[in-house]
Amino acid sequence: MIVDRIVTWARMKSPWIVHFNSGACNACDIEVLAALTPRYDVERFGILLKGSPRHADVLVCSGPVTLQQKERLKTIYEQMSEPKFVLAVGTCASSAGVFNGCYGVCGGVDTVLPVSAYIPGCPARPEAIIDGVVKLLKSLKK
Amino acid sequence: MGIALFDIIVFPGFIFLGILSLVAEFTDRKLNARLQNRVGPPWYQPLADFIKLSTKETIVPESASSRMFRALPLFALASASTAFLYIPIWSTTSLFPFSCDLIVVLYLLTVPTLTFFLAGWFSSSLYSEIGSIRTMTQLFAYEVPLYMALLGPAILADNWSISGIASYYYIHPLMALFNIPGLLVSLVAAQGKLERAPFDIPDAETEIVGGTFTEYNGRFLAFFRMSIDVELVVVATLIAAVFFPLFTPANAIVGFLIYLVKILFVIFLLAVLRTALARLRIEQMVSFCWRILAPLALLQVLIDLIVKGVLAH
Repeated sequence: MIVDRIVTWARMKSPWIVHFNSGACNACDIEVLAALTPRYDVERFGILLKGSPRHADVLVCSGPVTLQQKERLKTIYEQMSEPKFVLAVGTCASSAGVFNGCYGVCGGVDTVLPVSAYIPGCPARPEAIIDGVVKLLKSLKK
Repeated sequence: MGIALFDIIVFPGFIFLGILSLVAEFTDRKLNARLQNRVGPPWYQPLADFIKLSTKETIVPESASSRMFRALPLFALASASTAFLYIPIWSTTSLFPFSCDLIVVLYLLTVPTLTFFLAGWFSSSLYSEIGSIRTMTQLFAYEVPLYMALLGPAILADNWSISGIASYYYIHPLMALFNIPGLLVSLVAAQGKLERAPFDIPDAETEIVGGTFTEYNGRFLAFFRMSIDVELVVVATLIAAVFFPLFTPANAIVGFLIYLVKILFVIFLLAVLRTALARLRIEQMVSFCWRILAPLALLQVLIDLIVKGVLAH
């Protein structure tokens, strides 16, 4: 259907992100912010940082999910409207990393939410984050 | 009946205004990016944003008033689009001119701001309520300088209709030079009207999440964004019609190209202001508007009164 193709095209060309720290050491957050600076200019791909989860399509999570943040992460995810995607940035978000098994940590982001793409790295470089978002969007086509 | 439908749907109705507003948003964002030494979004970006938002799931918060939440974006879009009917484009008369339509257009441009306030208020979220109170506070600050800056040229032209003002300055183009303070004041006040930096205090995303639109999503957010873009076009057209008296009533095609150049120039000035200046706090904004902008607008009215008195003798 041509309408479906237009809608998929629009979704691929306009991913708005909201950034959430689920317990990271801040290194990945700084890299996410670096990816949003004019140097990398992600507005070329239509990526905009939005303050409100209601406006966003992609939830960018960094860090292992702590027990404190678990419910908040779920709430943020439920506030977003469909279609929505979750991006795990960094080793901790992908698998809890060195914090695996820690008493206050329940694991990577995928223990709480369905994750669409993992971006490993400690911290993940801005180029890797942009590459991850672009790959996630390309997978929409299929 | 057929002509009325054509006016509403094609020109200067939704299709024409929709395309023009997408072009305006793209120009604004691209200029903003280029001024920051970035590449900026591709030309289809506003269209992709609109299609994506209008096909997303729409969530109405449980505590929000559902009927108002759904109706307000349409009010904003309708009143911003209606204001366009009374502003001359290439000839010196608009489609439906009547006496005193300047005041009507200014009030039609106030209606979207009121809907932003009500939208924030009825979504009953803490952030959106703070945003809507800021919208109202800001409205009282920029509205008076904006009105006075546009009434100055009206006094000199001795006509309160935008078509009358346009045809007066078309016959006496040198008179437009007296209105330069008014042009500057209305450019700065228009930033407040359109809620852009340095006056984007109501939707300051670093302080209050999404401001008045925090709870809005899906197609309602798309309509609100569309109405802000239409407002940008209408404000640019209004400033161009009142302060830049370049019209060609004889030739519509050349006149339309001149019109495009004029509004793109106004949007360029607005984009430079947006990029160069940082956001003010709300009380700084109010004191700036009342201490600097309002006296400048009064000066504009005074200049026009004096010029009119000298010309009368």
